[in-house]
Amino acid sequence: MSENAMQLIRLLEFADSAFPVGTFSFSNGLETAAEEGLVHDAATLEAYTRDIVRQAAFTDGIAALHARRSYLARDRAGIAEADGAAIRCKLNAEARLMTCRMGKKMAELAVHIFPDAEIEAWLADIAAGRTPGTYPAAQGIVFAACGLSERALFAAQQYGAANMVASAALRCVRVSHYDTQRILFRLGDEADALYETVRAMELDEMNAFVPQVDILASLHEKGLKRMFMN
Amino acid sequence: MRESGAREMAPYLAQPPAMPVGTPGKTGYLRLGFERDASGRSILREWERRAPLIVQQALYFDEEMPDMPCVYILSSGGPNVDGDRYEQHITLRRGACAHISTGAATKLAEMRYNHAALTQRFELDEEAYMEYLPEPTIPCRHTRFRADTTLRVAPSATLFYAEIYMSGRKHFGAGERFAYDILSVCTHAERPDGTPLFREKFVVRPEAHRPETLGTMNGYDVFANVVVLTPPEHADRLYDRTEAFIDRDAGLAAGISRLPNDCGLLYKALGRETGPVKRLVRAFCSDVRLETQGRPLPPEFPWR
Repeated sequence: MSENAMQLIRLLEFADSAFPVGTFSFSNGLETAAEEGLVHDAATLEAYTRDIVRQAAFTDGIAALHARRSYLARDRAGIAEADGAAIRCKLNAEARLMTCRMGKKMAELAVHIFPDAEIEAWLADIAAGRTPGTYPAAQGIVFAACGLSERALFAAQQYGAANMVASAALRCVRVSHYDTQRILFRLGDEADALYETVRAMELDEMNAFVPQVDILASLHEKGLKRMFMN
Repeated sequence: MRESGAREMAPYLAQPPAMPVGTPGKTGYLRLGFERDASGRSILREWERRAPLIVQQALYFDEEMPDMPCVYILSSGGPNVDGDRYEQHITLRRGACAHISTGAATKLAEMRYNHAALTQRFELDEEAYMEYLPEPTIPCRHTRFRADTTLRVAPSATLFYAEIYMSGRKHFGAGERFAYDILSVCTHAERPDGTPLFREKFVVRPEAHRPETLGTMNGYDVFANVVVLTPPEHADRLYDRTEAFIDRDAGLAAGISRLPNDCGLLYKALGRETGPVKRLVRAFCSDVRLETQGRPLPPEFPWR
């Protein structure tokens, strides 16, 4: 990663949980995991978060990197392909709702912050129903437009997934800020190894094996009592 | 989209010295074509087979749907061994129905050089109905297995496609749990015009990443994955009717979700033993049949 200070500030801005794409509304299934007693302390929270982050690397992580490359190659069809692949592997309705809301929001924010014809065109495609507008595709093209590296994009994607769970944990699991920050710090240790694997993968290699998380997501979707959207 | 060609299997491509890949007896092939005859009854019209995959004949033993051909796929070779490549191509023409299962669990043997692969293609025309409800798949120590399944389904058809995977031969010797090398399972669906609907792939490499963590198998040993492709009005009612639960005392959990593009549902179940998971999957299949065909599944044979 060879970002200059300006690019690093862009990275911090887009990866910040205060960047208003709505991450605070979602818990990635943690709310139900806590309610079911599966996640109840720092150790179980770390195990859960690690699975979420790993799943994100091999699904959205791959899509984000491909979207970024397609933007740089001026390949709109490639962006749409990454976007479509990302939505077709989201196998529950809440996950699709989450990714599309956040993706559209990110692109809208981007064009308000800096003008970019490609992102404008992508938003028009979302509005016309020509592309789903997923969050990883949005991250990929926004990071590309700002000259941020692939590794920076992957880091932001991974940190976003981990921080979404950690932030939600403060509201529904008996853990402290010390615990959640320690978990985020430790998961960072694993990001480079994951990146080296993910960067070489094609869209058709997107994969996930988290059946317990999938069942929790289903319980959440069917539940009546909840603070988070997912 | 660039095709990666399942690169995860690349470490497992050495020729097995006993019988190389492609040797007769290692390339099972099954082609089953169901259609309605002049009287409206579904029949097995096309039938091609190559050992070790065997289908003897269609039977009409389902008391709730006596006009539905039922087929058991058998494998004369016993377990799937190193270097086996099987292929199944099953079609249902307009309005036809079929129930397909296997005669016994699919055992995946220990492999040292290559891997075993299964390529499947299911094609359902308008208003066709198929239940694919095989016995579980049991990987053993150092199994390497790849499955690639294409579901090509018309909008008005209903396909119930189930897979059950065990962690291994958990009651063999001291117990084998997640002792296999790799399971790579990809299921993707499309419309007859090629429009993609969804894609699910899981790659489990226990040595690289134990699949026993909180978010993965979480102490369970049996994993059922069921795809139901059906029109939205059926999917909506089935979704509402199907319970998602975690029963820690019974060691059983299940969940249901809606697939992308309004194409149907995905049902997942986890359990400690196969029996309860099989019963859950069968009960769900019965609900799907009741919803779409107006009849439930008959009780399971006592010997199954």
